[in-house]
Amino acid sequence: MPEWLDIAVRSIFFVVVLFFITKWLGKKQISELSFFEYVTGISIGSIGAEVAMGLERNIFHGIIGIVIFAAIPFLSGLLSLKSKKFRDFVGGTGTVFIKDGKIMEDNLKKERYTTDELLELLRKKDVYQVSDVEFAVLEATGDLSVMLKKENQPLTAKDLNLTVASIKESQTVIMDGVIMDEPLATIGRSRAWLHTELEKLGVTVENVFLGQVNSYGELTVDLFDDQLQVASPQERPLILSTMKKCQADLELFALGTESKEAKQMYSKNSEKLQEAIDKVMPILNG
Amino acid sequence: MTVGSDVKQCFVSLKGVEASLSSLALRTLDDDSKCSLHETMMVVHEVVTDLKKRVGELEQEEFQYKGF
Repeated sequence: MPEWLDIAVRSIFFVVVLFFITKWLGKKQISELSFFEYVTGISIGSIGAEVAMGLERNIFHGIIGIVIFAAIPFLSGLLSLKSKKFRDFVGGTGTVFIKDGKIMEDNLKKERYTTDELLELLRKKDVYQVSDVEFAVLEATGDLSVMLKKENQPLTAKDLNLTVASIKESQTVIMDGVIMDEPLATIGRSRAWLHTELEKLGVTVENVFLGQVNSYGELTVDLFDDQLQVASPQERPLILSTMKKCQADLELFALGTESKEAKQMYSKNSEKLQEAIDKVMPILNG
Repeated sequence: MTVGSDVKQCFVSLKGVEASLSSLALRTLDDDSKCSLHETMMVVHEVVTDLKKRVGELEQEEFQYKGF
């Protein structure tokens, strides 16, 4: 076998081996580089390259090396699941940099971080003023996690005592003009339903670039042809406005009628309806 | 137009709302929202029942507008 062909065969072989090894090690290997993943990642890559190019080396020795380098982080991962002590030893623990709004200088020194580097990490979290921070910890992966003081945290519905409707995730049912059957089945709809909804909007499936169904079963679409305007779902606002109108009507009837009994009935029902409106307002507005 | 026809109109609109709420409740995926939509539908139904009675009374008074 000529040398170039040998290199080609070895390269292809090791690409396949490396692919399966990384798949086996899982997402952790690529998402967060802890100490272990960092070392093994580099080593596995080097062994693969070395054996693919160095023709005097035995292919199987290379594979043994790779498998061992992959197996040890795998086993340590299994052990880490069992023991907290082992986990702390292998993965490292976080270091508190800011506590009670005060910078822990000793911990900075221990991790050999300069003030500039701390400021840089804070800026990456959109924090420009150290006094805004209540608590910050340097994670084992090298990221800084920041908890702002309560007054600097973004406003939430809870802070405003606002009731909001809870929602479920949207499902993407049309991609590039092709109907996706699985997400459709997840929300319990059929192709026939989708065709009806599309017809209501006056578009064909082929013209839809992206179609999603939200938590309320409403279909929203983005078309290939950006000149066309598509109607947004109006059903919920319509229900709300009709309810409001009827509530106002009932109040009017209550004022208008001379019968005492009817007056009572009208005002009782208008109150009932008002309560109902308040209750579903977050849902119908959202 | 008389009061009778106004009340009738309100009654019909509310009936429509009841149906819309019911279908929306069926289509909504989130259980909490589904529940409150359904409860609201029940409240609207009660109002509709009361109104229906009143429509009947009004029809007795304005006989020429009898329709229901």
